[in-house]
Amino acid sequence: MTTVQGSAIAFQERAGHRKAMDGTRNFALPILIVLVFIVASISVPQFLTFETIRAILLATSITGIMAAGMTAITLSGNLFSLGVTSSVVLSGVLFLWTTNATGSIFVGALAAILVALALGLGQGFIVGLGLNPVVVTLGAGAVIYGSTAMMTGGEVVQAETREAGRFATFAVADIPLPVLVLVAFTAVAWFLTERTTIGRDVHLVGWNRDTAKNSGISYMGTTIWAFLIFSVAIGVAAVMQVSQTLQVQADNFPELTMNVVAAVLIGGTAVSGGDGSPVKSVIGALFIATTAQIMVLAGVEQGTRLFVLGVVVVVLVITLHLLRRAGSR
Amino acid sequence: MNATNPFRLEATGISKSYGAVSALVDANITLKPGEVMALLGENGAGKSTIVKIICGLISHDEGTIKIDGHEVELHTVNASQAAGIAVVHQEFSTVGNLTVAENLVLGQRGAPWWWSPRKLNSSARAILARVGLEDLDPSTPVEKLSLAEMQLVEIARVLAKDAKIVIFDEPTAALSDAEIERVLTVVKRLAAEGRSIIYVTHRLGEVFEIADQVVIFRNGGSQPPQKVSDLTVDKVVTMMIGRELGDLYPHRAETMGEVVLETRGLKVAGTRGEVNLRLRRGEILGLTGQLGSGTTNIMRAIAGAEDVLAGTVELDGTTLDLRSRRRGILSGVAYCSPDRKADGVFKGMTIRHNMSSPWLRRVSAFGIVNRGEESAEAARDASHFAIDQTRMNMSVGNLSGGNQQKVAVGKWLGIRPRVLLVEEPTRGVDVGARAEIYAQIRRLSDSGVGVIVSSSDTNEVLGLADTIVTFYRGAQTAIKPADEWTEPELVREVMHREEVLA
Repeated sequence: MTTVQGSAIAFQERAGHRKAMDGTRNFALPILIVLVFIVASISVPQFLTFETIRAILLATSITGIMAAGMTAITLSGNLFSLGVTSSVVLSGVLFLWTTNATGSIFVGALAAILVALALGLGQGFIVGLGLNPVVVTLGAGAVIYGSTAMMTGGEVVQAETREAGRFATFAVADIPLPVLVLVAFTAVAWFLTERTTIGRDVHLVGWNRDTAKNSGISYMGTTIWAFLIFSVAIGVAAVMQVSQTLQVQADNFPELTMNVVAAVLIGGTAVSGGDGSPVKSVIGALFIATTAQIMVLAGVEQGTRLFVLGVVVVVLVITLHLLRRAGSR
Repeated sequence: MNATNPFRLEATGISKSYGAVSALVDANITLKPGEVMALLGENGAGKSTIVKIICGLISHDEGTIKIDGHEVELHTVNASQAAGIAVVHQEFSTVGNLTVAENLVLGQRGAPWWWSPRKLNSSARAILARVGLEDLDPSTPVEKLSLAEMQLVEIARVLAKDAKIVIFDEPTAALSDAEIERVLTVVKRLAAEGRSIIYVTHRLGEVFEIADQVVIFRNGGSQPPQKVSDLTVDKVVTMMIGRELGDLYPHRAETMGEVVLETRGLKVAGTRGEVNLRLRRGEILGLTGQLGSGTTNIMRAIAGAEDVLAGTVELDGTTLDLRSRRRGILSGVAYCSPDRKADGVFKGMTIRHNMSSPWLRRVSAFGIVNRGEESAEAARDASHFAIDQTRMNMSVGNLSGGNQQKVAVGKWLGIRPRVLLVEEPTRGVDVGARAEIYAQIRRLSDSGVGVIVSSSDTNEVLGLADTIVTFYRGAQTAIKPADEWTEPELVREVMHREEVLA
């Protein structure tokens, strides 16, 4: 312990206060997850089993995919999309209807992603005009919810063939497809935000919209791209989710929006934009899923679980915010 | 201090530094009751620093401040208000959607937490009458007022605080002549009531109209106070400049070639009349004027960042597409804004990513950034501006002002600029970096890039530009080769010819 402290102090002296703060911020969460795993595997029976890990990863996959996509919006300085739930539901409905009609889950998935893209394009355009993203996405969410309820008559939409569940049941070496899709989508989102001109524009616009304008970078274009990246995540996540439940109703998944926002926040992406990464948000989603799973295994009641999760999210987000402020001084 | 101390305010030996930069060195101000003192000086001379210290916005490092003979600590705005000091700010600190009456009690010490609207309005009327706004309905939202009315409400807010010392920080910067007259009348009335006035301004005419004494700031220090009756405009201008053009500036243009850029009948929002400029190859054109003189609007219009009302800009004989900044960049127009923090650099991003921001697509294929090419081009451009190659991964926000400015200008090299527009090229930049920035701007001009510089620092324009164009309140007023200007002449020109002639 003393050597760790000693080397930590030496590191601070060598690289400076600011770098140490950045380091803490970047690695705090992965270290925390490892610690939680170690503590849980010692104290909670049946934690360190393949089934538990699999369940955690499966629970992470849906929110993780959306958190990775949402990061693009947050990075671009447009806060969050607060219409996640209703978009997922509508995409899910489209997936089941199209699959039922054509018999092909791939056509169904395509329909789900296309409708999500159309919704994202519209919202991105309105936000790009300079309207407040929170207001726009909340409003859009309400409209989408209403139209879904009208289209389905408030009824549960059912999968007519078991074929629709193939996406959820398919597995490679016992790793379920949603988890593989999460890994693939995170990799793509990382590549898009870090290695492409669109991704760079997203960062630049997020850091300073006015400087970006003077540098010839379009706020409108960049915002639309950010919403489109998020829309693909919505469509993919909806397909994965509905493949598991095989049915969907207008008022399903009410907790999704908050879970996705919490994952992005815990991941440490700056709410003000510019600074962050989809990978961090996925780690945030992983942390939430892990904590929730431990509490399930430990037999904690649902109310208490939600309470503890809420407290953990708030404490972590405040800590990260303070670290960021200290680092930017 | 004895009881018959004649001074309302005595500030002695005030110093303030930000890190290694001294903003104020051993400044002294004394003020008697009923006296109007004008503070003059160029941008960055230290006059706004001392105002901020007196009104408690920043604390000084050394020196003492006495009010009525008693030493006071003015470390917070509240302490300053309690000591009887009030400030009329240059930026309006009124809240637009609140009413005039509500704004008058806003931020006021000792205001009750609730007043009935009737009582609020009647007390407001009494105060408004004192600034000549007796006809104004106190329940009007402030955002519906004219600029002059807002400024007068701002002054009324200060009166509501019943201050002994009132500081005016360029209260007339945005006003027309008739409106200025109203403000000056109120200032005179306040002084007649026995209040002491500190009046910060750029307009010399006002000084001779209202001030009893003048303190001139230069390079962070104050000059001994002078009685206005002993002064002339020329004397004031000489005292304000007080420095020589040294080795700071590069050589002048050796030869001037064909016309690179020409504006024909250009009209832009915020300017009056047509702007007709002609820039030749190898020449640096300098635009100068005070804040709000319209130079910013003109530069932004040529860059494609502001709407053009009429006229055209021709670059190498072809008409420039001024419809967007993106089109401007594609035509090779580089533009550095006057305020790099606001819209010149990305503080949180690395030097490399700042440098590549305008030309990222040139080093990308199918939307994927070629990071090797990006690094190479950024490093090449950085070396031209003497930016440390080992710091390319450092956040620009962690750099000094000088290095940030080098990044703000240097990032444009990568678009292969045909024209470089630079506003305030060295605002907040230390002397060493200034020389490097000037030298690089001259090198670019020598290499065939058309360069237009705009600056409110007349000394800078005189040192750097080959031809100088002056602007006053949105209108182009004079155009002459730099060697036909003297600095006092130039200062007088941008400060308003009529005022000075009067």
